[in-house]
Formats: sequence, C-alpha cells, structure tokens
Amino acid sequence: MDDSTTNWVTLLAGNDRRGGTSAARTKGPDELIWKATLPESIRSSPVLHAGVLYVTCRDGHLYAFENRTGKERWKFQAGAPIHSTPSISGDLVLFGCDDGAVYALDHTSGGLRWRAEGGGPIWTSPVVSSGLVYIGSTDGTFKSVDRNNGHVGWTRQLPGRIHSTAYVSDRLAYFGCSDGRVYALDHASGRDAWVHETGDSVTAAPAVVNGLVLAGSEDYSVYALDAASGRLRWRVETGLGIASAPAVADGRVFVASKDGHLYALALDDGKEVWKSASMRTMTAAPVAGDSIVCIQTHYGETHAFDIKTGKELWAANLGGSLQSTPIVTPEAVYLATYQGVVYALR
Amino acid sequence: MDRRTFVYQAALGTLSVGLVKLKLHAADFTLRDLRVDLQAPEVPPTRLSMPGLFPGRVVEAHHSAAIVNRRVSQPAMREMVERGMKALTGESAAKDAWARFFEPSDVVALKVNPSGTPLTTTSMPLVREVILALNAIGVPNRNIIVYDRNSDQLQVNGYHALVPPGVRVAGLDERWTIKGETRSGYDRDVYCEMDCFGERETRSYLGRIISSDANKIINLPTLKEHNASGVTGCLKNLAYGTFNNVDRTHAKTKTYTDPVIAIMCTAGPIRSKAVLNIMDGIRAVYHSGPFAWNPEFVWEAKTLLFGTDPVAVDRIELEIVEKKRREVGAPSLWDRNPANLGNTADMQRTAHKNRFYREPAHIRTASELGLGTWDLERIDHKRLQVG
Repeated sequence: MDDSTTNWVTLLAGNDRRGGTSAARTKGPDELIWKATLPESIRSSPVLHAGVLYVTCRDGHLYAFENRTGKERWKFQAGAPIHSTPSISGDLVLFGCDDGAVYALDHTSGGLRWRAEGGGPIWTSPVVSSGLVYIGSTDGTFKSVDRNNGHVGWTRQLPGRIHSTAYVSDRLAYFGCSDGRVYALDHASGRDAWVHETGDSVTAAPAVVNGLVLAGSEDYSVYALDAASGRLRWRVETGLGIASAPAVADGRVFVASKDGHLYALALDDGKEVWKSASMRTMTAAPVAGDSIVCIQTHYGETHAFDIKTGKELWAANLGGSLQSTPIVTPEAVYLATYQGVVYALR
Repeated sequence: MDRRTFVYQAALGTLSVGLVKLKLHAADFTLRDLRVDLQAPEVPPTRLSMPGLFPGRVVEAHHSAAIVNRRVSQPAMREMVERGMKALTGESAAKDAWARFFEPSDVVALKVNPSGTPLTTTSMPLVREVILALNAIGVPNRNIIVYDRNSDQLQVNGYHALVPPGVRVAGLDERWTIKGETRSGYDRDVYCEMDCFGERETRSYLGRIISSDANKIINLPTLKEHNASGVTGCLKNLAYGTFNNVDRTHAKTKTYTDPVIAIMCTAGPIRSKAVLNIMDGIRAVYHSGPFAWNPEFVWEAKTLLFGTDPVAVDRIELEIVEKKRREVGAPSLWDRNPANLGNTADMQRTAHKNRFYREPAHIRTASELGLGTWDLERIDHKRLQVG
C-alpha cells in the first residue's frame, strides 16, 4: 500500500478539516436522511470514508454506519470511554481511548488488528505518515508507533497534557501542549527541532501550510510560526482562549475563539478578512470547503458562511458540539452532537 | 446510614427536623409544604467539618492587577492565594496554612463552577494555584479530582486539557469504567427525596466522587447572583453541583432552593469533607446568573473570598452582590415586587427583571442547621489588599 493511501497527517485528514471528503455544497440541509441515537455522549468528530461514517462514543464503542442508510455495519468495544476522533489509514481505522491505548481496527470488519498500550487517556486523533502513527496523550507522552503492528518506536515525555492532535510533515511532527508550547519534533528521533512558547496552554491541533504552523492558544491568540525555525511570523489576538483547531482554505485561516466569533484571517499576514457575529462558545474545528466554511457551536447551532465574504448561508439547530466538526459533502451533511445523536441530512 | 426527614411548612415559615422546629425566612407563603427525605452515610464530624477550623471568618483578598490585558493574571492569583490562605489560618508560611487542612495521603476533590460564560466560571489560574499548593504539601496529582455535575461544561471550559497530567477531571454525569467495572457517576444509596412540583423523578442522588472516592473537598465557587437562589456561592455550588436532578426545585417564579440547598449540605459526606472554600470573584456577576449571557452584568471585582465557614462566605458574597446592585440601581435580591417578574429574555435584558422571587434565605437556613454563621455582627471579615 503506498503512502498516498495510508497517510492521514492531521486531525480530519487535512488543513481544511474535511475528513477526507469534499465540501462543495452551499445549500443548507432541509431533510433528515437518518439519525442514530447512541447510548452516551459523542465528544469527537465523525469521519466519512468509502461510504462508511465512523463515530466514536463515550460508551466505549467505535460505530461504523453506512452513510446512505444509517445501518450499523459493525461496532467495536474498547476498554473505556472514547474522546478521540478516528483516523483512516489504508485498511485501518485508528483511535485513542481513555484506557490509554491506541486501537487499530480493520475498516471492513471492525476486527482488532493491534492495540498499543499507554498511560493516560488519549483524546487526540492518531495521525499517520510513512508507516508510523503519531499520538499524544493526557499523561504528557508523545510517541511514534509502527502502523503495521503497533510496536512503539520512540516516546517523549513532556511536562503538560497533550490534547492537540499533531500535524506530521515529511520531516517534523507539530503539536501543542498544556505547558503553553508548540513543539516541532523530528519525526524519526522524537528530538526537538524547535519549541515556541505562547502565553498559555495550546490544546488544539495546528495547521501547517505554506511554510507556516498555525496554532491557537488559551492566551487568546492565533500564532503563525515559521515551520522550519519556529520563529513568530504573525500573531492575532481574539477575545478569549482558543481550543478549536484552525482550518485553512482559499488563502485564509479560519479560527473559532471561545469569544464566540469565527475569524477569517489572511494566511500571509494575519489581517482580518471577516469576522462572524457572536455564536457564543465554540471549541470544535471549522470545516473549510471550496466555497463555504461551516462550524458547530457548543450551544447547538451549526452555521455555514460564504468563505470569501463571511455572509451566513445557512444555519441548523440540532445539538451542541464539543469537538465535533460537520462532514459536508455535495449530497449530505453529517453532524454528531454531544447529546449522542448522529444526523445525516440532505 | 443516616436517614432524616425535613418538613418545610411554607405557610408557617418553619422547617422541622425530628422534634426540632426551626423558624425560617419563608418569604413565599404560597408554596405548598415540602417533605425532604435525606439518606446519606453517617460520617463522624471532625474539627474540619462545617463550619470548619475558622467559624465566622472570611478573608476578602483584592488585587488591583488581577486582570491584565483581559486575562486573569497567574502571578497575581498566586499572590492572592498565598496571602489569603495565610490570613485565614494565621500561619506565616503558605505551606503551613495548607497543611492545616490536608495531608499527603488525602484524596482531594476540587468543586469548580463551570456554568456560565467563559468569563464567569472558576478560573484556571485559581485551579492551578490550588493544585500547586496541594502538590507542595505532598498531595500527588493522582489524588486530585476536579469535578462538577456536567462534563460538557467542564470540557467546554477546558479544565480537562489545562490541568497538570495525572489530575482527574470528572463530570458526575459520566459513567466510570474502573478496572473493567462500569458504574454510574452517582451513588444510588445516597439521595435526597422530595416532590417539589409533581416531577417524575423525585430523587436527587449524590455524586460518587464525594460519597466514596474523595475524603476532602475544596470548594471553588464563583461570586455570582443566581436568579432563583439569590446567589450561587459556597452552599449552592456544593449542593447543586454534587447532587443531581436539582433544577426541579425552581419553576415558574417559585423556588424551594431555600431550604433544599441547606438540607443537602447537611448530608454527611458534604458537611464533613468540604473543609475549605475559596470563592472566585475575579470576575463577578450581579444579575442574570448563573449563566450571565449578557456581559453587561459581569464586573471585574478582582476578589477572592477565603473561609472554612460556607455560610459566612456566602453572607459576605450576598452583601457584595447587593452593594453592586444598589450601585447600578437594580432591585434588591430580596425584592418581592411582582411587577419585576419577567421571562428569561427580560431577565437577560435588564437587571430590573427576574424569573423568580429569589430566596437567598437558604444561607440563613444553613446557619440554622448548624453549618455556619449568618449574623454579620459575628462574622470576622478581614479585608486584604494584595496588590
């Protein structure tokens, strides 16, 4: 299997957070295709791949639903509640678990292929590059694991919790830590390439594009760092802390702040292009498509904006999100809520 | 097991517990009588049990630089916590002050208040300083639990991601899987049973973290008005943040928050384990609490209140909120004018409207039940200008 089918380099596959799907639609959904009510809260994002919607749940299961019908193909019971967004690598579905382990399942049968033991609960999403899986943990460890068998390569112990899913380039793994730093580690050795200190915890996944690392901090700011050196290129302050991963598309970075605003910033210099009206608190990542950017808020609304102008295109009110990003395709919109409901909307 | 029945006779303004009959404030005579059955483990009181080591003492610490560039200053918070604890205990070293309450083997639950705008929850700088202080006297992170009823509110405020590795962050609404055994976050054997307004579920269960996991609680409430109970301070943060199914006590202008908050705080595990209160008033709320969607009702008080006596701390909080409301021309928290009742939108628009006749008398009821000091004349209120 070649790298192009096995790589899944960051949260929801890419800087646009589309989960490996397309996001071309501008029309709002107005019809329910199916919905599934799970036994517990959903604290992660769904992922759509090859006609199957994968959803992890705090009841300790990963569910695989047929995207057209909602029929459950299989479900897998892990050892504890799950807060990690799944990722896809070739024929594997991977996720972290509160039991400290990383699980790799066969994506057609749901059978366990391997399980890599760990310490603290894992809330980040596993990322895959060149045959290695990279994962951060709430116990402060960041490690590489062999994609084929789950054997641990190297492990780094950091002083803070890691809730930030990494971005892995061809040389470095980038992620944030609750010690307030953005780390760039050599992905072969785990040694520091550089470290950049912000004013507070960095809990969301960074985006890496055009030689920039884009990361939000609880110190209210969005940082654009030189991907090679870690030097600050620009910094923009929002009204409150940032726990939402940025999405990048169309030469812009889209950042949701706890101040309730979605910011569209120019990638080159951080200049504000547009800013949404307040939507109260948001902690999940937006998804940026060809023409829209869409985000689910904590208090239940999902909003879609014109990517260029910031004009609101549509809104739905189905349930709140903590870390769930909508999956937007030309045919359907998929939403998962922390109340435990998965929606497929036409 | 301790089983007690409280009978609240609203028309008479009395609360009976066995043969003891207490005269309460009982402002709303239209409420029907309420019988409350409390079942909780018997936990022998210690010198740390409510009202604790320093009955009637409240330290109000203020720091003019507590907020820097709109963020709560960690260095200022460190200074406030250190000096506040020394002033409360009379110790000259902060470590000795904390050692008056905690031992390295303790399992300590930190009760935060995560409900409200991101600005008006228990601030992370305070939580971090408390954890560091516990670490300094030998309590390891694995023995520290940050908890509230609502895991989504904990998560949206980021407690789970911002505390040091090893500290457990837990919503009582979560199920636990420990060593392969799955269990509920609530203890089915510890409950408060009552029928307030004909609700289907008449029991409120106590969180298992408090009934069995932790042996001490540090209560970290916020300084906020509450549209039903008057203020949400030490007592309400403990009672309504540790028992479930509590929203049912207030509906359509009427509220049983007095006496239910006070009764719940008499449950052995709460009364005996809550040994220290540090109220976060860096940003405070004078109206439309606890959620305070309208930032107009939030002010930068830059204050922390310290005490072991939750009644005394809440009484001082009540005075602070009343003073602020007088300053802005809003009605008193004791207001009974029906013209000032309104719906949620009214309440969020203006400080002159509220959804309920508030009942801050739950603080006095707690005093009647032996949990602390209500009388301002008997409260040793120390003011401390930290910076």
